[in-house]
Amino acid sequence: MPENGFNPKIVGFLCNWCAYSGADLAGVSRIQSSPTLRPIRVMCSGRIDPGFVFTALKSGADGVLLAGCHPGDCHYSEGNYLCLRRTLMMKKLLGGFGIDEERLRLEWISASEGDKYSKVSWEMENRIRELGPLELKQ
Amino acid sequence: MSDEGKPKVGFYVCHCGTNIAGTVNVDEVSDYVSGLPGVSVSRNYQFMCSEPGQDLIEQDIREQGLDRVVVAACSPMMHELTFRGAVGRTGLNPYLFQMVNVREHCAWIHSDPAAATGKAIALCNAAIERVVHQEPLFASEAPIYPDTMVIGAGIAGIQAALDLAQGGNQVYLVERDSTIGGNMARFDKTFPTLDCSSCILTPKMVSVAQTENVQILSMSDIEEVSGYAGNFRVRVRKRARYVTDACTSCQDCIAVCPVTVPSIFDMGMASRTAIHKTFPQAIPNSYLIEKDERPPCWSACPIGQEAAGYVALIGDGRFAEAAQLIRKSNPLPVVCGRVCYHPCEEQCNRGFVEEPIAIQHLKRFALDWEAQHNGEVKVPEPPVRHSEKVAIVGSGPAGLACAHNLAQRGYQSTVYEREEVLGGMLALGIPAYRLPREQLQQDIDFIRRMGVEFQTGVAFGRDVTLEQLRETGYGAIFVATGAHRGIAMHVPGEDLDGVVDAVQFLHNKALGESQPVGRKVAVIGGGNCGIDVARTILREGAEEVTVVYRRTRVEMPCEEHEAIDAETEGIRFLFLRAPVEVLGKDGKVTGLRVIEMELGEPDDTGRRRPIPIEGSEHDLGFDMVVASIGQRADLDYLEDDPGAGEMQLSPWGTLDVDAETFATNLPGVFAGGDAVSGPATVVAAMGAGKRAAEAIDKYLRGQPLEGFETHQVPAEIPRVEGRPHRYSKPYEEIERVPRTQMPKLEAETRIGGWDEVELGFTEEQAVAEAQRCLHCGVCVDCYQCVDACKPGAVDHSMKDEVDHLDVGQIMVSTGYKQFDPSVIPQYGYGRLENVITGLEFERMLSSTGPTDGKVLIDGEAPRSVAILHCVGSRDENYNRYCSRVCCMYALKFAHLVRERTEAEVYQFYIDMRAFGKGYEEFYTRIMDEGTTMVRGKVAEVIEAPEGSPGKLLVKAEDTLLGVRREVPVDLVILCPAMVPSDGSEELRQLLHLSQSADGFLLERHPKLDPIGTASDGIYIAGCAQGPKDIPDTVAQASAAASKMLGWMARGEMTIDPIKAEVQEELCGGCRVCNALCPYNAISWVEDKKVARVEEALCKGCGICVAACPASAIVGAGFTDQQIYAEIGGLLAV
Repeated sequence: MPENGFNPKIVGFLCNWCAYSGADLAGVSRIQSSPTLRPIRVMCSGRIDPGFVFTALKSGADGVLLAGCHPGDCHYSEGNYLCLRRTLMMKKLLGGFGIDEERLRLEWISASEGDKYSKVSWEMENRIRELGPLELKQ
Repeated sequence: MSDEGKPKVGFYVCHCGTNIAGTVNVDEVSDYVSGLPGVSVSRNYQFMCSEPGQDLIEQDIREQGLDRVVVAACSPMMHELTFRGAVGRTGLNPYLFQMVNVREHCAWIHSDPAAATGKAIALCNAAIERVVHQEPLFASEAPIYPDTMVIGAGIAGIQAALDLAQGGNQVYLVERDSTIGGNMARFDKTFPTLDCSSCILTPKMVSVAQTENVQILSMSDIEEVSGYAGNFRVRVRKRARYVTDACTSCQDCIAVCPVTVPSIFDMGMASRTAIHKTFPQAIPNSYLIEKDERPPCWSACPIGQEAAGYVALIGDGRFAEAAQLIRKSNPLPVVCGRVCYHPCEEQCNRGFVEEPIAIQHLKRFALDWEAQHNGEVKVPEPPVRHSEKVAIVGSGPAGLACAHNLAQRGYQSTVYEREEVLGGMLALGIPAYRLPREQLQQDIDFIRRMGVEFQTGVAFGRDVTLEQLRETGYGAIFVATGAHRGIAMHVPGEDLDGVVDAVQFLHNKALGESQPVGRKVAVIGGGNCGIDVARTILREGAEEVTVVYRRTRVEMPCEEHEAIDAETEGIRFLFLRAPVEVLGKDGKVTGLRVIEMELGEPDDTGRRRPIPIEGSEHDLGFDMVVASIGQRADLDYLEDDPGAGEMQLSPWGTLDVDAETFATNLPGVFAGGDAVSGPATVVAAMGAGKRAAEAIDKYLRGQPLEGFETHQVPAEIPRVEGRPHRYSKPYEEIERVPRTQMPKLEAETRIGGWDEVELGFTEEQAVAEAQRCLHCGVCVDCYQCVDACKPGAVDHSMKDEVDHLDVGQIMVSTGYKQFDPSVIPQYGYGRLENVITGLEFERMLSSTGPTDGKVLIDGEAPRSVAILHCVGSRDENYNRYCSRVCCMYALKFAHLVRERTEAEVYQFYIDMRAFGKGYEEFYTRIMDEGTTMVRGKVAEVIEAPEGSPGKLLVKAEDTLLGVRREVPVDLVILCPAMVPSDGSEELRQLLHLSQSADGFLLERHPKLDPIGTASDGIYIAGCAQGPKDIPDTVAQASAAASKMLGWMARGEMTIDPIKAEVQEELCGGCRVCNALCPYNAISWVEDKKVARVEEALCKGCGICVAACPASAIVGAGFTDQQIYAEIGGLLAV
């Protein structure tokens, strides 16, 4: 559903145990979610290399969602904390490149939070629509 | 790869009936993919997971030579293994397969077919790009530990343990409570058969206890779980029970225990003692003592006096026992009852309610009572007698405590005292009106009777040297010479006649030496010594005594009640003044020049610092000035005796000792008390003496000076938050009772002589004051049970035990607890007396319960009963889910009420759910028995108006009749929701399990694998997974056990090949990864200066892969290359 011709592309890196299962639950519960969010499964949010985020933005993504287990719930103990640290660092770098740091969002979504996955997807779409397409100078 | 070296990909998109194809245009997807480079086959099919669907893949691989496969269907959580299996059957490596989730992530969450199809194409494109970079991976097999663990020993855990034990291997059945049995042990009858719950549960409990290869770990908590499926290592803490297996359940201990708390097993409807057994058939079938956080009075006491214990005994009227208990750990009980500065009271939890318990006065009461009633107290016999002897220098509280403790340990000691009187500061510093000399003598005589010898008039260093003591044959020496020298004021005029030192004055007075006192006296300093000397001088005949202190009353270091007593006797106080000069004429004191002070910022001690106000000096007339601004250690002997002179000093000019062991730098020489700490309290000195005695014992026995058991006051006193112990009401709800005031001698009578000012409590006063005690700690360490237990099974020194258990698989069956209905105010639970919960009613029905199975309200049978269904269940405000058992147990209650009373029963229900075998028949039976059914959720329960036929009024709308009803009843039974049990959340996090939206543990699949979890090797059963009845619980437990037995029989588990690997040639040796791995799977290879991943320990999270700055770590199955290709493919469309 392009609006003003802008159809955002948002890449979601979802951890296998919580966020990906949460997205599955959104499906099983038939909770309508934004089709602009395109998920990629990783085992842990701690696996998300900053390079993935920058490559996604460079390759045409208008926004990137990182989603992992809630603090204390990480399947691998503390990978989500590493993801949090990296996200803070990446947001600083994005700002330095003149990219609005809201294009990168980190969320904790548990396996039982299908509704949260849906809510985040819509919020993310709306925010990216407000920010408009990401235009990078070549 | 194919012959040409380029991959040949097969692509399949599943319709899943209409689940996918109803929204996603599958033809468009397969058409799109068919045009992608490298794709040889692109198909769509109705059910890819079906046998023909899988055949399709296998056939294409064989006939078309495919070497990569992508299936777009449901979630990989559902069918990834299915399709890997199909790929693997053709001989192709199963990891050359990638799955796309177009059902849960597309079709089911998008309503717009175009958007859903567009996204599906992007996801498929990403998978095609990704799959060509996938490489063959090989799963390995690892042997599994045959032993298993079951966590939670309700009926589910018991059943599983029994089933697992059939396999012949060890089963650990771990239970938090003191008994196994869980909630089922609370029930009276079970539906729909109405057989007795105990009669079917307890034989199983006995059976599991008798099964040799089941080890029951009761009172045990899981602290850590490491390892992986098949190879878990679990750290279990077994809390101390304080009662050994020798317990015969004779109940003698219950009769002597002074503490009662509500019984949690009886839902608070009955009480139990601190030493107890949960219920008669409990397993393990022995008693236990419940100890919460130790009472703060005990923690705060330098000698570890069991204050809460003797206070409880006094409250119980057992005065002799109280005195006996005090003597156990207190070397100077009579003295402490009078002059201890009672740090216990400062920390007393009762202070959070209104005022601390008068612990010290109670101690004095017990000792006074003992002296009046018991005659001479028998001296305890030490368990052993040692030949070594110990010399103690100084007979103050430190020396006496050390001698006493050494005597208890079987050592004979000799105390050398410089003065002719014994007691150190107790005799020389504390005036007799506070501590009558005959009281001090009582304690000293007792210590003498323990075999301690005293030599008075022998000055250390001068009359006897360290070397001489050693030569006399003492194996160890304890130096406790105190701090007997006053500190000078350092102001001009200090040498005038009429300026005296407070310590010296009190000494002289105590030794009976005559000394003149002035008419108008100034005492400089507001410490205890200053007050003591002021009150002494007043008694010696001074007309006017003024205490001059440089801060204000609030900061005065003396005891508050001492200052009040002094004031009552007529002592004046002059605050915010400091002396600058003692004025004199003809060599005699005529006055004092003082300067006014104001208070500044707080200093290191937390007291506000006094600052002189310039130009505020003025003169006051006095004819005697007493300096009482501090004391210091008198260490002349270090110069008199070269041997002793080798002892090291601290920067503060006190003897330097090891803080733990009290050992000086000289072998066999220990020191403590004021000589080490500087001037402190009597009880602190006693604490040092006791601790030093333990150190001397270890030293003489040739043991290392470590592992001390003598109590030392912790920096922070541990306590339970907000309430004295876990069973108590919070402080703000405890009824306020004022502290009993100590009766005192009239002020006019006091200054006429040296009589003791404080008169002591009467028996009634003591009991009343002691009953204010909140029994912090539940067990108050009175040790009455120790003496009462004939088999000697009580052991208060038991410690928690920590075990590391290796198990292959774990089952979690932690059950449920009852939702707390007090949060629903309109039902009045906790506010209205006759509103109770289902579990409370179960206990009322039970023959071992608080009413012996009678249905009673205020001692009478109710005339009518209302049973409210769905309390906190099926309620948007609390829990949306149905708790599943309430309808049936509500019917059971109806039957039992009618069986045992004449009462009318009303059921208020929303829907009647009789889903199980025999349940509908049970419903019909109860209906036939005559129960009134009202379909409608209750709006409110209120107190019935005067003259109503019931105590309560239940208001509801009968939705079948369409009328509002107000039903008067005597008893309301709520059927609260089942919610996850306490501690299950912590356990869930330890095991890294997920929870479903209702808070219960999340199963692997709601229909196909309700007992598995996302973590291999960990299973769930019973109410831990969600509310259910007993038959379902038992069925799940057996199902989980049989799955576990299956793996045990196989002996090996498949280990996923998703692992990290270091490419050593790329590793720069920065070691960033080493610290990041949560499993310590990355080691450092020193000779090659590279990191290495231990395959067995790696769990494949990929944290290290993302962190490696050299990209030297490859995460198999999720390589950088694969994910970058996926990102590219995802965004290309």
